[in-house]
Amino acid sequence: MAKAAKRQTQRVVFQPTAYRGLQQGINQIADTLRPTLGPLPRTVAIERSPRDKAPELLDDGGVIARRIIELADRDEDVGAMLLRHVLWRLHEKVGDGTATAAVLFQSVYNQGVHYIVSGGNGMALRHYLEKGMGVVLNELTGMAVYLEGQEKFAQMAETICHDPSLAKMLGEIFDIIGEYGQLEIRSGRSRELEREYVEGMYWKGGILSRQMITDHTSLRTEMENAAILISDLDIEDPRQLIPVIEAAMQAEIHSLLIVAGRLSDNAIALLLMASRDPAKFQAIAVQTPGMTAGDQAASLEDLAVLSGGRPLAKTAGYTLSGVKVQHLGRARRAWADRTYFGIVGGKGDPRALRKHIVSLRAAFGRADDPEVRRKLQERIGKLMGGSAVLWVGGATELEINARKELAQRASDALRGAITDGVVPGGGVSLLACRAALQERLDQSTDPDERAAYRILIKALEEPIRAILTNAGYDASEVMAEIKRADAGYGFDVRCGRIVEMAKAGINDAASVQKAVVHSAVASAALALTIDVLVHRKTPRESLTTA
Amino acid sequence: MIDDTRAEPQIQDLVYSLATSPDFAQDGICFAARQSGLYRSDDGGITWRTTYDSLDLEAPLATTAVVVSPPFIPPSGGVSDRSVFAGVQGGILRSVDGGQTWNVAILPSPPPLVSALVVSPNFAHDGTLFAGTMEDGVFRSADRGSHWAAWNFGLLDLSVFSMAISPDFANDETLFVGTETGIFRSTNGGRAWREVSFPTEFAPLLSLALSPGYAGDGVLFAGTESCGLFYSNDRGRSWTRLGEDVVTEAVNGIVLSPQFPAQPDVLVMLSTALLVSRDGGQSWSDWKAGLSFEQGLASVAAPQGLAPGAPLLVGLVGGDVLRV
Repeated sequence: MAKAAKRQTQRVVFQPTAYRGLQQGINQIADTLRPTLGPLPRTVAIERSPRDKAPELLDDGGVIARRIIELADRDEDVGAMLLRHVLWRLHEKVGDGTATAAVLFQSVYNQGVHYIVSGGNGMALRHYLEKGMGVVLNELTGMAVYLEGQEKFAQMAETICHDPSLAKMLGEIFDIIGEYGQLEIRSGRSRELEREYVEGMYWKGGILSRQMITDHTSLRTEMENAAILISDLDIEDPRQLIPVIEAAMQAEIHSLLIVAGRLSDNAIALLLMASRDPAKFQAIAVQTPGMTAGDQAASLEDLAVLSGGRPLAKTAGYTLSGVKVQHLGRARRAWADRTYFGIVGGKGDPRALRKHIVSLRAAFGRADDPEVRRKLQERIGKLMGGSAVLWVGGATELEINARKELAQRASDALRGAITDGVVPGGGVSLLACRAALQERLDQSTDPDERAAYRILIKALEEPIRAILTNAGYDASEVMAEIKRADAGYGFDVRCGRIVEMAKAGINDAASVQKAVVHSAVASAALALTIDVLVHRKTPRESLTTA
Repeated sequence: MIDDTRAEPQIQDLVYSLATSPDFAQDGICFAARQSGLYRSDDGGITWRTTYDSLDLEAPLATTAVVVSPPFIPPSGGVSDRSVFAGVQGGILRSVDGGQTWNVAILPSPPPLVSALVVSPNFAHDGTLFAGTMEDGVFRSADRGSHWAAWNFGLLDLSVFSMAISPDFANDETLFVGTETGIFRSTNGGRAWREVSFPTEFAPLLSLALSPGYAGDGVLFAGTESCGLFYSNDRGRSWTRLGEDVVTEAVNGIVLSPQFPAQPDVLVMLSTALLVSRDGGQSWSDWKAGLSFEQGLASVAAPQGLAPGAPLLVGLVGGDVLRV
């Protein structure tokens, strides 16, 4: 009763209680993720609701963090949710590195709090931590080497997913589709992994009438040397289609693919009538791809560039009345089924296609929103000329879903590795950054700056210590061995010896490592400036619901 | 004085491509892909006979590309392999008996026009060959030409004019294609392509040639339609124009000495002239003084290298094949 009353009042928490609460919350999340770090991770069991179900066993830091939605103590909860948010954002952005980030964040924060409560300046410390973070990011950039070839890609994928057959398959797929290539990960029908490469480009936007399907076995229609009307127009009156059909027939076009927002039954009937002898003329209509106006405009633009046609968008005031044959795109082959349509061998200008891809890549580089990046990457992949489908099998739906998630995570990280290169894995790259920080430390006389570098130097050791401990080794003993080894060498926990990490294929994507360092250090530095916590009054309805 | 012998019979049609036996010096076997079909000569290009008799064709079958597998006449004790591949519209013909009988592999419709064929130097083991097409990109076969599939990931321009394969393909899996708008390279056996940094304004690329020591020296030559001949010694990352004042016509063919770069001979086939450089492209002269090809050049082969006096087979626009 007293607790409920306490929850209903707004509460302000000052130091040192605020630090203590934040620290305990952060430590709870970080300590939950710590056992999952490395190639020999422990798992975390998440209780399900209702409780009579088997617990969910996870070793993916991002998902584990996502599952923790509230801690009982509200001061601790603020710290936990702060770190959780950082980790989830990182997971969404790069698909990997959440456990490393949690461990780094925890170390920086705990050391920072210790320094501040001993009289250090929190704001100056944040400034110098960020400066030190820049040093680490530069070192990682300098260390990056670029991977080439299926075997290297597979090695890289295996360091993420620890599933050799999945890694081998992903290595082959990315060697073919490239870093922007479109990869669909679907549930398989058998226990095995299977892959299929799809030539050309396809979009979600099925055929508008079942009667337009000509191959009743595959439920698909294929056309050769097709002309393409690219639009999002709603065609109600069948007479609107007549100029298009006439223009096509006059130009001796035998196959016409109409992309439209909607076709009335009468308009469909007209197309079916015009196609009564498919050997002479065949027209089919498919749905404009995309759920939103923005997605539709993007699809029409891509289709136009690929096929050399002009997009006729209703927002631009286009109608079909003035359509000329020059407005139609062309492709060597076009196909459609109930769900998708695609083209192979679009006849657009290859130079315009290159320019379009360059502009999309630039937009991709600028975009921060994961959803925007995903859509841009998908568009670039389509324009590059093909896509792949990975069918993930398994004994149960649960296993399939877990493996699909793993495949997605590994493919996200692999894309990053191909784009930005790789650095030695197993925490070795972070250890190697300490020398540059030590140099700065030796040159500095400012106590806050020196403290920041010391904090970072110690924090950069934490991931490798966690990897060793999780694999059952004495971290201090192995760390001493690593220190005696040459640059680029580290400890392979699976074979239990010092190896050259790059040669052994133990790499981390440079983009992931940099994102990890940036997220962990910048967020921990910011968290160190939090002086006061203010708890919101819990709404009465929530209590009632609870 | 022109040291040439007119090919017999004189067929007035374009010679798209020439291919010679690896042991041409001994066996004199060569093939000419013409508008009127595929022809074989057993005497070094002096007399020719059609190879399509067994097909019993009603009309001439225009043949746009021909290639002979490396162990065509194998060294004694080797595996017998007499594969000849001929590209036609919509398919690729394969003969394992030097052109007496043929099998047809049909390419996906609409029928692609094969513009270039290259065969893996390691063909005896990997059975791999590639077909470039005018509108459909690159097709790849890994079973000695029985089945073909398009592999065009990353190939942003599907109009393939020329192809060149790395002599060390068994290890580096590298090949290049020249297209209407640029050059693309595959480093995974032709399954995916990345554009090479060749300026698109200099395209189309009509011819490509890789150094026999490409794996080590990274040298390749590229011939354009209207911007001359280019050279790269870093696998296509940077390019230098060669013979700017001399090589001014379309470069339809490039042949390098088998001993390149030790013997830095380069032959280029322009529209009406054959030029040779003995210093890797720095200075140029006519292949043979007084030689003129007013009829127009269409294809060239140097079965015994480019040393002075070595024979060249030259296919003309009118259909003749000259032995020069």
